[in-house]
Amino acid sequence: MESEPNNTASGSGNPKEEATLKVPSKDPKTKDDKKDEDLSEEDLALKQQLELYVERAQDADLGLQKVALESMRQEIRTSTSSMTSVPKPLKFLRPHYGTLKSYYETMADSDLKKLLADILSVLALTMSAEGDRESLKYRLLGSEGDIGSWGHEYVRNLAGEIAQEYSKRVNEEATVDDLIELVEQIVAFHMKHNAEPEAVDLLMEVEFLDLLVKHVDKTNYKRTCLYLTSSARYLPGPDDVSVLDIAYTIYSKFEEFPSALQIALYLDNMQHVKQVFTSCPDLLRKKQFCYILARQGISFELDEEMCADEEDREALQEIINNTKLSEGYLTLARDIEVMEPKSPEDIYKAHLLDGRASAGASVDSARQNLAATFVNAFVNAGFGQDKLMTVTSETSGGGSLGNWLFKNKEHGKASAAASLGMIDLWDVDTGLAQLDKYFHSNDNHVTAGALLGVGIVNCGIKNDCDPALALLADYLDKEDSSIRIGAITGLGLAYAGTQNEQIRDKLTPILGDPKAPLDVIAFTAIALGLVYVGSCNEEVAQAIIFALMDRSESDLGEPLTRLLPLGLGLLYLGKQDSVEATAEVSKTFNEKIRKYCDMTLLSCAYAGTGNVLKVQHFLGQCAQHLEKGETFQGPAVLGIAMVAMAEELGLDMAIRSLEHLLQYGEQNIRKAVPLALGLLCISNPKVHVMDTLSRLSHDADTEVAMAAVISLGLIGAGTNNARIAGMLRNLSSYYYKEANLLFCVRIAQGFVHMGKGLLTLAPYHSERFLLSPTALAGLVVLLHACLDMKAIILGKYHYVLYFVVLAMQPRMLLTVDENLKPLAVPVRVGQAVDVVGQAGRPKTITGFQTHSTPVLLAAGDRAELATEKYIPLSPILEGFVILKENPDYREEA
Amino acid sequence: MPTVSVKWQKELYPAVEIDTTQSPYVFKCQLYDLTGVPPERQKIMVKGGILKDDSDWSKLGLKEGQKLMMVGTADVIAKAPEKGPVFMEDLPEEEQVVAVGHSAGLFNLGNTCYMNSTMQCLHSVPELKSALTEYPQSGRSNDLDQSSHLLTVATRDLFNELDKNVKPVAPMQFWMVLRKKYPQFGQLHNGSFMQQDAEECWTQILYTLSQALRSPSTSANLDTVKELFGIDLVSRVHCAESGEESMETETVYSLKCHISHEVNHLHEGLKHGLKSELEKASPSLGRSAVYLKDSRINGLPKYLTIQFVRFFWKRESNQKAKILRKVDYPLELDIFDLCSDDLRKNLEAPRQMLRDEDGRKAGLKLKQKNTSSVDSDVKMSDAEGPSTGSGESSKATLGEAVASDKNVQLTGVYDLVAVLTHKGRSADSGHYVAWVKQENGKWIQFDDDNPIPQREEDITKLSGGGDWHMAYICMYKARTIPM
Repeated sequence: MESEPNNTASGSGNPKEEATLKVPSKDPKTKDDKKDEDLSEEDLALKQQLELYVERAQDADLGLQKVALESMRQEIRTSTSSMTSVPKPLKFLRPHYGTLKSYYETMADSDLKKLLADILSVLALTMSAEGDRESLKYRLLGSEGDIGSWGHEYVRNLAGEIAQEYSKRVNEEATVDDLIELVEQIVAFHMKHNAEPEAVDLLMEVEFLDLLVKHVDKTNYKRTCLYLTSSARYLPGPDDVSVLDIAYTIYSKFEEFPSALQIALYLDNMQHVKQVFTSCPDLLRKKQFCYILARQGISFELDEEMCADEEDREALQEIINNTKLSEGYLTLARDIEVMEPKSPEDIYKAHLLDGRASAGASVDSARQNLAATFVNAFVNAGFGQDKLMTVTSETSGGGSLGNWLFKNKEHGKASAAASLGMIDLWDVDTGLAQLDKYFHSNDNHVTAGALLGVGIVNCGIKNDCDPALALLADYLDKEDSSIRIGAITGLGLAYAGTQNEQIRDKLTPILGDPKAPLDVIAFTAIALGLVYVGSCNEEVAQAIIFALMDRSESDLGEPLTRLLPLGLGLLYLGKQDSVEATAEVSKTFNEKIRKYCDMTLLSCAYAGTGNVLKVQHFLGQCAQHLEKGETFQGPAVLGIAMVAMAEELGLDMAIRSLEHLLQYGEQNIRKAVPLALGLLCISNPKVHVMDTLSRLSHDADTEVAMAAVISLGLIGAGTNNARIAGMLRNLSSYYYKEANLLFCVRIAQGFVHMGKGLLTLAPYHSERFLLSPTALAGLVVLLHACLDMKAIILGKYHYVLYFVVLAMQPRMLLTVDENLKPLAVPVRVGQAVDVVGQAGRPKTITGFQTHSTPVLLAAGDRAELATEKYIPLSPILEGFVILKENPDYREEA
Repeated sequence: MPTVSVKWQKELYPAVEIDTTQSPYVFKCQLYDLTGVPPERQKIMVKGGILKDDSDWSKLGLKEGQKLMMVGTADVIAKAPEKGPVFMEDLPEEEQVVAVGHSAGLFNLGNTCYMNSTMQCLHSVPELKSALTEYPQSGRSNDLDQSSHLLTVATRDLFNELDKNVKPVAPMQFWMVLRKKYPQFGQLHNGSFMQQDAEECWTQILYTLSQALRSPSTSANLDTVKELFGIDLVSRVHCAESGEESMETETVYSLKCHISHEVNHLHEGLKHGLKSELEKASPSLGRSAVYLKDSRINGLPKYLTIQFVRFFWKRESNQKAKILRKVDYPLELDIFDLCSDDLRKNLEAPRQMLRDEDGRKAGLKLKQKNTSSVDSDVKMSDAEGPSTGSGESSKATLGEAVASDKNVQLTGVYDLVAVLTHKGRSADSGHYVAWVKQENGKWIQFDDDNPIPQREEDITKLSGGGDWHMAYICMYKARTIPM
């Protein structure tokens, strides 16, 4: 951001200082004389010349005056071109500024007076005292000629003064029309001279961004929009929305539809999304839009207006429905050659440990088998094959008693059955076929797992036949609560973000059912929260609020109750002020849950906004020392992370603040801090965070240690990061005797090798611009569950770990041709460089390597095509990108 | 009759005709022909749910060419195995020991690490354990004093406790009885018990046990402890001055490894320890003269105990000072050349067999691998079996031991099974720790109440030469060969 133009420019700061310094000196005259002696002959001549002009300008003869002023102007104009030093004429004219000013007052209105005003305006650039805005004053009185003729520095200074004057006038409710006129001139000048940031800044100061649309052209609209979108992050609402609206308008104007679409998605403005579709005539580009929509994970129905041809529409809808995600992911896997299934032992790599490896336990441990189930599910996620669940009993390793499923205990079997859904992730047809047989099991846990598995396999995929709804609906009213939870959670995962009314009609009655046990109600609230994530749906909110109010005093103390406020919060995810009415209602809740609810709602509502005030609010909450063992500080700490994760600067600040909490906070804060760090750096293993977590993983407090271990997994999720893998391996031997911690270590290992390193959990995508609400919701549910690890994850609700599926996405770039078939092209992949507001055409990536698509993209990586042969239809090379042949391309000989 | 297309798994069946006059069951049978999925397992997705057998087609609003999806498999329903697996978490505590793979630790009762480590080492001798189980609670032989009897009973109970528990055991009873029997262990210093020499503790306990476990019933003087640990020595006592020579035999419970400047390896130290000079009255000279005593091993024990003579009384500091010299010891010890000629002759045949066996093993590694995996399976099923009670199983091993006694031959080759180490500068200070090889071949370091798994290669690094733990007593188990 440009703070004040006249301070940033190196050339203009100095003379002013000199000027102010001179005033107090006792004998200015002698000093001046002395200075004269130092001057070269040429300069002396110029000085005398100018002094003559000043004298003449005050002459009674108008003709003489005119000549003098014009010559003076000539001198100034010819010299302002130099940037490095103070222009000589300005320097020499400085002593006469006062004289000229006072003479100006005595002049009669005439062209000459205006001419003098122009000159005074320029002189004021170096002379006028701070805050006087004389440059602006004389400019307005002047001839209003070409503003650029006085040079760049003058314009910048003027812009700064306008901003000040504007805010003053707005306060006084005076008219600003004359200023706006000037602004228009300045903006036009800036836009023509590659100074888009200055133009945008000025317009933001005077709240007149609409003007921008008129002045952008083909050459500068990209830079302008880039500046607009990146500055929007730091603007308070509602300014950010208006800025992005302008960017959207500009992109639309220049038919840069993918970027326009991205902004529409950022604003969550479906009207804009629709407009993008209707205004773009090209089917192929529309397909690219569909890929962008699919990545964002929102449900969107195309209508005839957006695509007239029914067949085309179906093809487009199919892309939005993500039906080809599995195929693309497997293409990537085959290309990287990681199709071979991995067993949990391949992940644990116990042979690398010093003799400390568990003493080859001869009896199965249910806890360890459960951990292996999860590790197996995460590692082989989406590959459709593994070494535990999909193998038949005959082929599985010798000595094992039949099916792996039955090597799990009770509710463990539910997670085992559900893991099939994870293994066949996104491949609905195969997944349902695999899971089908478990529907007929007479073991309730197995059936429950199969139901949950259906939800997992359908996660993010839409299907016209709605198999998940059809299959799961029948089980919602079953007697057994584990089956009910399985079906409810399955629906929540499968229809997250769809706002499907059928689901609402089926689930809301459960919330009001007085006979339903607490766990069923808790998971119903979460499922509804997921389906209606960020929708602010009144009815669902009401239902959850009533459910909360109906809880008995003892229920409110249960660890699972925390999921109810969370379900409510998810409805307002990222919706900022919209939460206020509900937050007001939550103040009437039972004292036990009131504060907790308040924190949860607030953290969800401002998630991903980067709102500094909210971060401070949460920090304030954490500073309190609690007596009564209240738990609301946990969500407050998570809230810091949820709000601050929006952009890098705030993120780094939050990490530092969390360090403080770690030192001064009490136990219930300390155990949430690792989780917050995990969210801030999810799938982005920053070394210093890794070290902090590694330190905390040896904490004397087991809950802190467990949270830190899980978070180590989260920050390394899907990266195969060798350092984290090593840390976890050592932890597994360090904690070999503590079953709970070992379980956490195993889960974390599963996270790190998630999808054999092809996946990411980061909810941000498209160069960290867009936030997928469902992905964030899934992570938040998991983290809230981790706040009471012992009761939920280490208890019998370990399947909440599967909520992470909502955030799982391949971290790939897959280029496809016009028929949507994979197309291998060379791309350069390197660390992304921030080019906002930089001059010229700077490189956007650094330290790149050239690969052939499909390629993996790490956090902070950016790709660009290394060939001219194709034109990508999306400016951001992430996920699926359609390539069009470049008609101008000529094969080099 | 509308035609629809049906999607099943990855296949698409286009143009399936629906007879809307018939019940959906007929349609399902049609699909059964196509897919092989029995109608009752078919789940067909239509608007708003699953197609029921008694649904009315007209209400479903089928459209010509609509895509239906059918889910279902003809796969066998996975059945739970008859006998579910037994999980460690479900086992009673004593059986978890098997699962953990090592026995419990012992709490330090105030400078009792010397006792703890001694007991952990002795605990690793199964034959001693079984002999103790046989020991009668009340019927003590007349020639045994009360305190010895109590100490024996306490030892037995402590061993049982160790076997039963996963969590550390506090050896309160044993500690009390030990102090009663040997008051020197009860010495107080500044109001707390003093650190003692583990070797002394070891010797005293073994002595008591040998007294107690002498079975009075059998006429033969069957001394279990002697059989297990006793080393028969035959010594030639020679006087250089007079040329007198005599033969002596004795039984000791441990070999001493003397550490001098030339000793770098256990073997050298042992040789050193078997030679000694003594001064005694010479009948021929009529005065005392220097005799050279040169001992050879004449009878091998099952468990060979070796004590490193690391401590010597330092008068100036008035304490047992320690020799820090590094003395290497092997995992596999051959004491053939320390044996007497008679014994050597006896050992020759078994040793040959042992060599042959080794050769075979090396040649047929693959086969051996197979058998070992079978072994582990057997072990697993053992562990999973219902609680047989540790007493019973140890009885079985005892029977085995007794039975095998007859047809087993010692070879003079020994394997390291336990090391008692000391860390610190004098015997009465510092810290004692036991390093014991478990039945599953894993090494566990018993640092009082904290058992820590260790690597075998690290065990031989306890040979001294620094301030780290160094071996003080080593226990080797005889490698036997069946005859």
